[in-house]
Amino acid sequence: MKIQILGTGCPKCKQLEANARAAVAELGIEAAVEKVIEIDRIMDMGVMVTPALALDGTVKSAGKILTKDQIITMLKGGN
Amino acid sequence: MPCACSNGNTTLVYACSGAANTGYLADQVARALAKEGTGKMTCLAALGANVSGYIESARGADRNVVIDGCAVGCGKRIFEALTIPFERHVMTEYNVEKGKTAITGDIIMDVTSKVKESICNGK
Repeated sequence: MKIQILGTGCPKCKQLEANARAAVAELGIEAAVEKVIEIDRIMDMGVMVTPALALDGTVKSAGKILTKDQIITMLKGGN
Repeated sequence: MPCACSNGNTTLVYACSGAANTGYLADQVARALAKEGTGKMTCLAALGANVSGYIESARGADRNVVIDGCAVGCGKRIFEALTIPFERHVMTEYNVEKGKTAITGDIIMDVTSKVKESICNGK
């Protein structure tokens, strides 16, 4: 599983990344967390508001700092 | 000059960009609003095509402003289908007749000004 955190490096993006890493650690799953900071790549994924989170290339959230628990729910297949 | 109402908020602007003169006007008004800083223009077609990044951006935006060309309301229909809140302006409600009115620079400026005023007043 690949988790992408899209954002140019603001504190909100860093918080979302930390929450995603904490969610992965708590679940004990194999997942790569990648930061996408290049504006061209962010735009290519159609993201207009950051921070955003994508799972395996599908954007699941934009403009929000998802909590660790929200990300855990998402990783388990919920919304 | 950026619109004061957009300060601190994310306003996304979508134009129907349809084939008629009204679609052309919708497109030009949306581009003018973006140029003036009232909002960021983004792609309505991508929402209709279910592109995840665009859909989640619309869900995460503070305001979504749809500029529809005519009463067919393609923009309105797309947002309603996605159940995402939006506000809407229709070009035929600005004294523009579909298929008849020639879209000039003056018309684009006039309609942009009226739509911008409405957006900034939260109407």
